[in-house]
Parts: sequence; structure tokens; C-alpha cells
Amino acid sequence: MAVLELLHVSKIYGKGHTEVTALKPIRFSADKGELIAVIGPSGSGKSTFLTIAGGLQKPTGGSVFINGRDLTRLNEKKRALIRLREIGFILQSSHLVPYLTVDNQFRLLDRVKKRNMNKDEREKLLSDLGIRKLKKKYPADLSGGEKQRVAIAKALYTNPSLLLADEPTASLDSGRAFEVMSILSHETKEKNKATIVVTHDNRLIHYCDKVYTIVDGELTPLSGTDSADAET
Amino acid sequence: MFLAWNEIKSAKLRFSLIVGVLTLMSYLVFLLSGLANGMATLNREAVDQWRASAIILSQDASSSLAQSTVTLHDASGISGKQTAEIAQILATIRKSGTNHKESAVIMGVQKGQFIAPKVTEGRMFNRVNETVVADSLKANGLKLGDQLSISSSAQKLMIVGFTHNAEFNLSPVVYTSIAAVQKIKYGSADLSGKGLIGGIVVRDPNVDRIKVGSKLQVIPIESFIENIPGYTPEKITFEFMIYFLFVIVCVTIGIFLYVLTIHKTSIFGILKAQGISSGFLIRSVIAQTFLLAVFGVLAGFLFTVITGFFLPAAAPITLNYPILVFYGCIFILVAMIGSLFSVQTIVRIDPLKAIGG
Ligand SMILES: Nc1ncnc2c1ncn2[C@@H]1O[C@H](COP(=O)(O)OP(=O)(O)OP(=O)(O)O)[C@@H](O)[C@H]1O
Ligand SMILES: [Mg+2]
Repeated sequence: MAVLELLHVSKIYGKGHTEVTALKPIRFSADKGELIAVIGPSGSGKSTFLTIAGGLQKPTGGSVFINGRDLTRLNEKKRALIRLREIGFILQSSHLVPYLTVDNQFRLLDRVKKRNMNKDEREKLLSDLGIRKLKKKYPADLSGGEKQRVAIAKALYTNPSLLLADEPTASLDSGRAFEVMSILSHETKEKNKATIVVTHDNRLIHYCDKVYTIVDGELTPLSGTDSADAET
Repeated sequence: MFLAWNEIKSAKLRFSLIVGVLTLMSYLVFLLSGLANGMATLNREAVDQWRASAIILSQDASSSLAQSTVTLHDASGISGKQTAEIAQILATIRKSGTNHKESAVIMGVQKGQFIAPKVTEGRMFNRVNETVVADSLKANGLKLGDQLSISSSAQKLMIVGFTHNAEFNLSPVVYTSIAAVQKIKYGSADLSGKGLIGGIVVRDPNVDRIKVGSKLQVIPIESFIENIPGYTPEKITFEFMIYFLFVIVCVTIGIFLYVLTIHKTSIFGILKAQGISSGFLIRSVIAQTFLLAVFGVLAGFLFTVITGFFLPAAAPITLNYPILVFYGCIFILVAMIGSLFSVQTIVRIDPLKAIGG
């Protein structure tokens, strides 16, 4: 069973004159162990796609299945629970709680959800991301890239089955960006997650198993990039 | 509690200001309650000492002992477990040889009856010109052996003893014999059946069973106290002020937390996007209010206790700690109710807007 499946999903913002078709009816699925890239220019509907996939908004038409459950039939309370248990978000803008130290960002997650990473796994993740020394710091004292890496660690920490990342490498230098991608790729394989990365950076697609392009709300698989190198 | 506490720690200045405001307000509540309590005590403590169930006054006296006249003959006809005759007159007393005047309540009682004062210093009065007075008068320089002149009377009274907790209607009580009060009031004593007193104090659990003639009325002691001139209006005024302060606390903390919540909309939105429930966020706001209110109340309580130590004896503030604890709890509760103003705002936060991607 696919971790994420979108059936005939479309999204239209506004009505009448102001109507914008942000997503044309699409079919999309992501399986366990798949790292998928969605590439498109600004305003093409990438964030719309990702927020619908993550149950943050309802599509105008179609159904969104996460591990077999149709999100469009659930109320916000139940969708929130699914987000908490199944989905890890890495968002375009850094999303740390300003008054919690890096360490406490993780403790907060321990308070709202069970079966997060254990201490060893977390320490390893933090050192892989190069943020182990930052544990006592507040977000305000971190650089943009450090914040982004903490956000990535947070998303992975809850052991989600679906990882949704909106421009996760936007504020990183290319060395770090590649490192982050290899961590995402590694986590995806090892923990059998489905990971979707929205980006406009073509260099990152080497790490991905599948690549889609999105232009004016139209999602199309990029042929010939069913990369064999990730298979090995 | 986790989010709440960490936020307080990271923005100490902001939250100390809120705690500061709560401290001042709880201090005011505590002092007002102390003042209300103190004024009530000064009005009624002499009566409370009697531990009486009712008082019997003449029908025309409208609950006022000073206006009531009962003959000793009528008084002797009262049934009831324990009864005690009382005569009362309001007067201005003056220590002989000085000009210092003080208004006082002169109460004539029978030695040995249950309303006779418990002497805490000196001895009980034996003769008509002797008196046991409230020890609060010591603050005015009165001591054993002093002679008191009474306004509009040639009768003088010598202080032979002091008694504790003897204030009535905001004045100190001067206890003496019934004969002495009659002399002051009517010029001569008359202890025969025709002699006049003010009323009869009754200690009897079954007050309803007491039968009196048509000229007399049985007044339960609590309603007698409520009719002490000024007592009830003062009490209502203080209560109103305290209740109103609670409303102010509720609204103030409500506004503070509402502003803080608005300020945190994007953070809360992001947490909601991650799947953290509104309930968790609401609990954290309420927990935060609880912490702030507890700090405020504890600090206010501390200041109140310190104030209590430095209070001059004349200040009519009596701190009743169980009542303060009770008001402290109400204070915290009311503050938490104030924080509920933010509930709707938190529920309405749209996680999608917060992440703005
Ligand atoms: N809430 C909204 N109301 C109306 N139109 C919207 C709304 N959100 C997005 N749109 C429109 O939908 C289209 C897709 O927006 P979306 O945010 O998905 O783009 P994007 O690919 O994420 O762009 P970027 O790379 O700049 O983040 C855009 O034309 C945008 O103007
Ligand atoms: Mg976007």
C-alpha cells in the first residue's frame, strides 16, 4: 500500500474573477522507501500540492489517502492527529518555537507523541546534521542554515512514515544541501519512509528516486530520471 | 506546563511585569479583605465574646440596644437556658485631669453572668464606681487606677481591670455594673422590678421556643449585629470592592494573555501544522496563567504578611489567614477564567496561514 496517494486531486483558489487553478486534477502516489522530488518555478503550485498532501488544506476535488485513510473525509481534529503521527513537515520558512532551546524542541515532541527516536538515534541524527553542539541554544541564536537543520531533525525525530519537505535546502550552502539530501535519502531507505521534496534546485535530483515537474498546477513525471543510482 | 514554563523563563521581563501587576492586585485584595475584616471586628467583637444566640429588646427599639428599654421585672420573666441582663449607653469618656476624649460604649452587666467580661489584667469591678475597660484604650494612655469622667454625668468610673476583644460599633466597651449605667443614664440606680435596663442576652440553642410579651422582641444575634449602625453598609461596600477587583483581575489577565496569544499566532499555527492539538495549546495557556497567578498571589501574600508585621496597632486591619488563602484561590481561579478569552482565538488559528509557504 502506498504511503501517500492522491486521486484526481485538484485545487482552485477563489471564485469568479479571482479564480486561480493552483492544481489541475492529478494522480500521484509515493511508496515506502521512495524519495521523490517535485520541481517547478515559483507560483507553480508546489506548496499547494504539499499542503494538500499533508492534510493542511482540503482539495477542491479528489481524495488524499495516507496509509489508506482518506484525509478529505476527516475533520481537522483527526487530520491533526494523522499529521502528528504519520507526517513530518519541513517547511519553507523555519518553524521552530522561539522560546524553546534546541533540546527542548525535541522534548516538546516527546510530550505530544510517543514512539519518537530514542536518545542514541537522536544523538546520531544531530551529529549527522552537524547540530549537536547547538542543543542549549535558542533559535534566535542560530544561523538560517542551522535553524533549517534543526527543523529537519525535528521532522525526522517523530519517525513519520511520510516526510514532506518544502525547499529544505533553500538556506543552505551547496555542501550542506548535498549532505541534507543524503541524510534524507538515507533516512528514507533505512526507515522505509516516503519522502517528497519540493525544490527548484536541479542538482538535488540525483538523490531522488523519482522526479516530477510542476508547471501551472500540472504535475508530470520527468521521464528518464527513474534514477538507477539510488537503487544500489 | 512545559511550553508555558519555558516561555516564562525565556521572556522574564515581560512575564515579571504581568506578575508585578497581579502582585499589586492580589495585595490590594488581601488588604481590603483585612480592612473589611478589621472593621467588622471593631463592630462586633464584643458581641462575639458573648457567644449568645439572641438578644431580647423592646418592640419599639428597632434592633438597637441603645434605644431599647426593658424593666428588670420583664427581664426576670424570660425563659431560656442562660440569660443575662444588659444595659447600654453611648458616651464620651475622658481621663480625669486631661482633655483627651474618646467615644465609648458603656455596658452594664451583672457580675457572674455569661456576658461579664473576662478580665485579662487587674480585677473585676466590685463597686458601682468601678469599671473594666477594653484594653485597646491602653493605646490612649489609660491604665489601672485612672478615673474616667463621663459626658453629661457626674458619675466617675475607676479602671480596675482590662479585657481583651471588647469593641462594639467601632468603639471600645467600658464594662460596669447595671446600677452604674442607670446612674449615668437616669441619675439614680433602681434595681427593683421597675428599674430599667436595655435588654436581655440569651444563650440557648432553641431560640424559637422563647416566648416574650408583646412589648418585647427576640432578635437572633446575627441580625442584631447586622443592624449595628454602619455595619452592613460597610460590609457590602468592602465586598463590592473585592468582587469588583476580581472582575478587574479577570479582564486584565484576559487582555494580557489575549495579546500574548495574538503575538504567538504564527508559533501556534506551526505547532498545529505539526499536528499538535488546540487542546494542548489551550492547556498550556491556562497553565501559564495559573503559574503567573500563583506567583502574583504568593508575592502579594508575602507583602501582606510583611505589612501585617509593621501595621500600627490603631490600623483597623485584621488579617485572617484562612480568608486570605480563600481569596488567593479565588484570585487564581478568576485569572484562569480570564485566560479563557484566548481559547476561541487558538481554536481559530489556521495552520495553513501560519506556515505561509
Ligand atoms: N490562499 C490562496 N489564495 C489564492 N491563491 C493562492 C493561494 N495560495 C496560493 N495561491 C496561488 O496558487 C498558485 C500556486 O501557489 P503555491 O504557493 O502553491 O506556489 P509555489 O509553487 O509554492 O511557489 P513558491 O515556489 O514561490 O513557493 C499561485 O498562483 C498562487 O498565487
Ligand atoms: Mg511555495
